[in-house]
Amino acid sequence: MLEAVHLTKHYNGVTALEDLTLRVNPGDVFCLLGANGAGKTTTINLFLNFVQPSSGTARINGLDVTEQSLETKKYLAYIPETVMLYKNLTGLENLEYFSALAGRSDCTRVQLLDFLKQVGLQPEAADQRVGTYSKGMRQKVGIAIALAKNARALLLDEPTSGLDPKAANEFSALLARLSQDGVAVLMATHDLFRAKESGTRVGIMRQGKLVRTLETTEVGHADLERIYLEHMHD
Amino acid sequence: MFTIARKEVVETLRDGRFRALAILVLALSAASFAAGWRHYSDVQRQHLEAQEATRTQWLNQPAKNPHSAAHYGMYAFKPKSRLSLVDSGIDPYVGVAAWLEAHRQNEFRYRPAQDRTAIQRFGELTAAEAFLVVLPLFIVLASFTAFAGEREQGTLRQLLSLGVATRDLVAGKALGVAAALGLVIVPATIIGVAALAATTEFGGLRADVPRAAWLAVMYLIYFATIVAISLAVSAWARSPRTALVILLAFWFANSLIVTRAAADLAAWLHPTPSAIEFQTAMERELSNQEEMRVRLDRRREELMRRYNVSSMDAVPINFSGISLQEGEERANEVFDRHYGGLFERYESQNRAFQWAGLAAPMLPVRSLSMALAGTDFAHHREFVTAAEEYRRGIQRVMNDDIARNSKPGAAYTAGAALWAEVPEFRYELPGVSWAMRQAAPSVGLLLAWCVAACWLAARATRRLGVV
Repeated sequence: MLEAVHLTKHYNGVTALEDLTLRVNPGDVFCLLGANGAGKTTTINLFLNFVQPSSGTARINGLDVTEQSLETKKYLAYIPETVMLYKNLTGLENLEYFSALAGRSDCTRVQLLDFLKQVGLQPEAADQRVGTYSKGMRQKVGIAIALAKNARALLLDEPTSGLDPKAANEFSALLARLSQDGVAVLMATHDLFRAKESGTRVGIMRQGKLVRTLETTEVGHADLERIYLEHMHD
Repeated sequence: MFTIARKEVVETLRDGRFRALAILVLALSAASFAAGWRHYSDVQRQHLEAQEATRTQWLNQPAKNPHSAAHYGMYAFKPKSRLSLVDSGIDPYVGVAAWLEAHRQNEFRYRPAQDRTAIQRFGELTAAEAFLVVLPLFIVLASFTAFAGEREQGTLRQLLSLGVATRDLVAGKALGVAAALGLVIVPATIIGVAALAATTEFGGLRADVPRAAWLAVMYLIYFATIVAISLAVSAWARSPRTALVILLAFWFANSLIVTRAAADLAAWLHPTPSAIEFQTAMERELSNQEEMRVRLDRRREELMRRYNVSSMDAVPINFSGISLQEGEERANEVFDRHYGGLFERYESQNRAFQWAGLAAPMLPVRSLSMALAGTDFAHHREFVTAAEEYRRGIQRVMNDDIARNSKPGAAYTAGAALWAEVPEFRYELPGVSWAMRQAAPSVGLLLAWCVAACWLAARATRRLGVV
């Protein structure tokens, strides 16, 4: 579903991403681990076609994102570290607006409220302005947008950082459900525990390179941490 | 696209600052329309009364020599165009009445601006001022965050990750700003129409409809230009603060600096003589007696030839009438040359001012606004010419009467019948097509600005950077 082939990006001579080749199949949850500046966000920006690759290609559903930018975004949902919404609109209005722009202007109020319920937003919050929302609530609206859009691929950029454990847990549960439904997930994260919990595979990145890929079923949490630190040290 | 526009409007309406600003702008335009309406009604009423009084005085002159009557003279009052309540243009600076008398083409007198201090000149708020200066500020404030703000908030990433085409986004934003603007413009226009409708005591409105309609069209083109420029800057600027600073600088230059700078530039390129220089030069030419003597001799010969006689005593008409008229004719030539030259200079200044419109969209729209309101220099000149024609007509009627009916050496008086031969002075504002023809370069420049601004907006938003 998500595919990077020899994907490389230089910014003014600095290599942000070097020769990344990976593939995320439907139902996969691929977690990119790495320090700041390892190239995780660059990878996601390349898939979103927010930046142009220096070489190589990123494909979504087999389509090159630079050539069919709008088409590839139909399959995609993106949830950043903090989902950004319009403060002066309510959660429901935000969801309505974004899903309408994603091509789902046919959604009824009942359907939209149902999406918000599925992601666990308190019912009374739907009609409150987003200005009053906590970060966890915003993330939930972000997932609701992805649900409404019926995205086949999800790009997540540190979606749980700064969430309290309960909210992070709920988030992981939602992710597991989406993965069961056959959504391909690419998630950048710092959180080894979360990666082990919700990921099917993890990739460790360092200085723009993918240095190690593991199946999460193969390793325990302690092993993952050890391997991660080994790669960070040398 | 409509989804985007609707969301923009909802968001804007929920912004308290917007509501306050909208009310303020609306109040300003309402106040300016009210002031314009009062001023127009007062002045128009006074003019009508004065015009009638001067006519009555003329008709009720006792029996006297026609040349005395010509010296007695009358006033010609410039009727105010109804749309001057929207844009008073140069009216306060050029005077409203001319004294029409024998031998002289007088300058227009009674300039309202003469009685004011320099500060007051600045302070006059016409509806045109509210629309052309204050509304663009409103547009800037309503649209500087369009892209820059969403970029800073991070919602632009969210939008573009959904697969929204930037073209739709730009169109939606423009439509949203337009709709928000409409919430101010529509009520303001209704107030304006009401102000115009409250002046029907001075005649039907029909004649002003085409002018008012064109005025509205030109203002809308101007607003579209400002919206496009604002969106372009907002798309281009890295942060909303940068966008705001750039747009405010543009607004300030466009609405406050450029107009004055262009006027100064035009005056520097085409300097006009001072009133004293102008008068002295004209007097010098008028006081040339030699030329007059030659011309009168020629007239005498012509007359003797026409009546086939060898002495002036045998000519059956009174030469003093001919001589007076010849004096008028000669003076008219001098006036035409001097005033014509002066007016040409003003026209040159106007052209320079118009072409300065390449520097800012305010200049062409300002020229057009005055032209359509009937308060620009072209309209003033048209009226001055008509008044002068009328003055010359009076002189001709008086002098012809002297030539035909009086006897040399004998006292001669004429009465009410002769006074009534002079028709009442009536002046009609030229039609809208005339006004548009005069302002054609401004129409072109304003359209050029609008197209250029839209192109700029399209270009700036073609690749919206999200980071």
